[in-house]
Amino acid sequence: MGSDRKTPGTGTTSDLIRRAATHPFRASRDHLRAARRLARDSWQRRPPARRAVAILFALAGVAAGVTSTAWQSSLRARLPSPLDWDALRALLERDARPGDALVPAPAWAERVRLLAPPAAPVASYEGGTAEDLPGVRRVWLAALPALPRFSWGTELGLLARSSGSEPTLALGALEVTRFQLAAPQLPMAFLPDLLGQAEVKLGDQPCLPEQEGVLRCADGGEVARSVREVGGRPRPCLVVHPDAAAGAPLALTFRGVPLGRAFHGHAGVAGDPGATAPVRLSVHVDDEEAGEVELASPGWQAFDVDTARFAGHARDVTLVLTSAARPGPLCLDAVTVP
Amino acid sequence: MSRAAPPSPSAPRRRRRIALAWGAVTFLALAALSTGPGISRDEAVAIDAAERAAAFWSDLPAHPLAELGRLDRALGGAHPPAPLGPALAAATHAAAARAGLPHRIGFRLATALAGALLSALLALLAHDLAGDGGALLAPALYWLAPRQLQLGAVATPDTLATAFWLATAMAYRRSGETPRARERVGYGLLAGLAFGGALAARLDSWVLLPALAVHAGLLRRAHRRPPSSGPARARGVPPAIGAMLVLGPLVLAALWPWLWAHPLRRLAAAATPPQAAWDYLGARLSGTRPPLLYPLAVTALSAPAALLLAWSGGLAHAAARLVWPASGERAEPADDALLLAGAAAPLVAAAAGLAPLLGGIRPWLPAFPFLAVAGARAVATAARSAWPARSGALGLVLSAALLWPGAWQVARCWPEAAASWGELAGGAPGAASLGMQRQDGGEGAAALLAELDARARPGARVLFVGPAASALRVEASDGRLRPDLALAVDPAGADLAVVALDGGSRDAEYQVWAAFRSDRPVAGAFLDEVPLAFVYARAGAWR
Repeated sequence: MGSDRKTPGTGTTSDLIRRAATHPFRASRDHLRAARRLARDSWQRRPPARRAVAILFALAGVAAGVTSTAWQSSLRARLPSPLDWDALRALLERDARPGDALVPAPAWAERVRLLAPPAAPVASYEGGTAEDLPGVRRVWLAALPALPRFSWGTELGLLARSSGSEPTLALGALEVTRFQLAAPQLPMAFLPDLLGQAEVKLGDQPCLPEQEGVLRCADGGEVARSVREVGGRPRPCLVVHPDAAAGAPLALTFRGVPLGRAFHGHAGVAGDPGATAPVRLSVHVDDEEAGEVELASPGWQAFDVDTARFAGHARDVTLVLTSAARPGPLCLDAVTVP
Repeated sequence: MSRAAPPSPSAPRRRRRIALAWGAVTFLALAALSTGPGISRDEAVAIDAAERAAAFWSDLPAHPLAELGRLDRALGGAHPPAPLGPALAAATHAAAARAGLPHRIGFRLATALAGALLSALLALLAHDLAGDGGALLAPALYWLAPRQLQLGAVATPDTLATAFWLATAMAYRRSGETPRARERVGYGLLAGLAFGGALAARLDSWVLLPALAVHAGLLRRAHRRPPSSGPARARGVPPAIGAMLVLGPLVLAALWPWLWAHPLRRLAAAATPPQAAWDYLGARLSGTRPPLLYPLAVTALSAPAALLLAWSGGLAHAAARLVWPASGERAEPADDALLLAGAAAPLVAAAAGLAPLLGGIRPWLPAFPFLAVAGARAVATAARSAWPARSGALGLVLSAALLWPGAWQVARCWPEAAASWGELAGGAPGAASLGMQRQDGGEGAAALLAELDARARPGARVLFVGPAASALRVEASDGRLRPDLALAVDPAGADLAVVALDGGSRDAEYQVWAAFRSDRPVAGAFLDEVPLAFVYARAGAWR
């Protein structure tokens, strides 16, 4: 009995296998043909160009309206609620301890200042590995990761300089992570804090205490403990006026400063005025000049003086500032590090 | 002329009614909204000038010689603002004071009136170009952007100048299209007077003159080429341009007696006001020409995305009509070119540094009426073309979709509209991360006055960092600042400090930290978690 190849179910086994194998391709080909036919028909019946543009504009307008509305309604949900902030406050009050610092991410999210306990003051830090965090052993990162344009830079920076971190704790829209710094900078002395015992001279004239944290010199010069903006950040520092009497050296002597391997400091013109005149800073330990730096570039400029040969002793440290021009009030900090 | 549809006999009446309705609604809305925003430093300058102008004009009849002797101090100064805004603010303030309205609202009512005029003009022009639908939509496309609405509710002269820009352009347009010589001259004179008003509101309005002159020149060239299909044009300088050239400076001089002595020197001083520094993508712009894309970038980042789509659709529509005139319509490029020139001139002037670098979108605010009209016409045209049988319903849906996000954004951020940013920026949080300006200039501190009133120790000395002194004076005279609170001049002499954060230098705030020995504020004002102002207190000064 011959097989009828046209009739389904009457072929040989190999025929059946071949047809089974080609069936999906044939089906796809049929679909493709139908789609092409539909596209050709649609193209032939397409609206005139002006109407097509109008339809597209109308669709885009409706889509933009819907998308914008959805985005705006989602923004509120991405912000921390008062309850979230209260939870952060309670957490910090319970677990923060001296040597801790609180860092918000993004850095402008400064509502944390309202709730930071004294044990964990808010640190100005945006993630750079070279940024100093003097006296800080642990950092609490309070992040708002659902905010638009949020960056993980701060967290990555902290990860790079930490020996470990606790698992992230989600407090509603807030995420809190605690980092243990691998090499915390623990200063032996912070010079601005020693201003009360310092002797200050402008030229040969001594500067006299006027009020707490302020010494007044002749010729209108002044040395004060303050917080000023330099390099776009708050800098606790000594504000000195090396230009009060142009050319006259301003000498600040701190008695019995414990010294370690280095004397590490920063300086910059307070208020970020831009271009500035150069200032020469020399560091004397007792009567010996230990080092000097030329502060010429704007911004928060770091300097280091090697004091390893004096390490382990308390010595008199004198900072001498001279400037031929008028650089403006200088914000100056310095620590001695072990 | 390219009108939306053949005008029906009742169209002129409907046109007037829509314009009047929009004017009335706008005035009431702006007057009501003007109670909200704090007073920025720029607004304080306008209020200062208004107070000086009011004192001068009220004393002039009684002591004419003495008052004329102190003309320089009353209407001038090192860099005085143009005279019309302060004069109108002084007038509305005097009227409002008689009605017992707060001083802040009194100064701002002049802007509400200017806003009403602007809305009516927008409706009239949009009706000419896009019919009833366009007239209903165009003012909404202008006002439902938070920045525009905020500038309509404060006493800076920008909305007034914008209204005069549009009035000038409309009078110029009518002067060019009318076939009768007498009407041409009449509308030309009107254009000249309106241009003078624009100059007297903001000196950088001179940019409008070259923009319209270029428009007139191009139009004349376009009509010279083919067998002309449009109305016959006169030779020589168009009457409107001539009137603007002559009447504009005359009106300015007439409204500003301070200019009469040493006019050029004084005009130069007034045209270069001291410029504040503004944050733009993490950099400080101060006293220099802004980056070329600055106006476009700030507009794109600050406006609701749906409105941006409508405005840019309107511009594209106008440009397309210039290049490919629709079949069946006359190839009259005047209106399309006018919309493009009106929108481009302020943006180009701001990018080129010809307009002073002011906060937010202020320098190029006059571009937005043209964008709104172009957008309204594009929406009306799209609805008609996309679905002719249901064009009304589609237009309504499309308008609602385009306007709703802006309305919602206004409702969410008011009265801190100057601190709000659009979806492309990521809202206020995204803009803060991008390093954009947080507010115009200290007005965010007003949000903390009620809390200061409630919690400050009696007799406390308060240092304000950011708000201008005259802003505080107005707030105090309106009873928003307790009379027992004294103003401190430095952190050492202060018990409390209210610090506005406008994105600029925070040096003064850090000195408060040092003086108070604390960087922990006791209260704050925020918009979507972006801090706008903080209160710091010495121990015991905050209850």
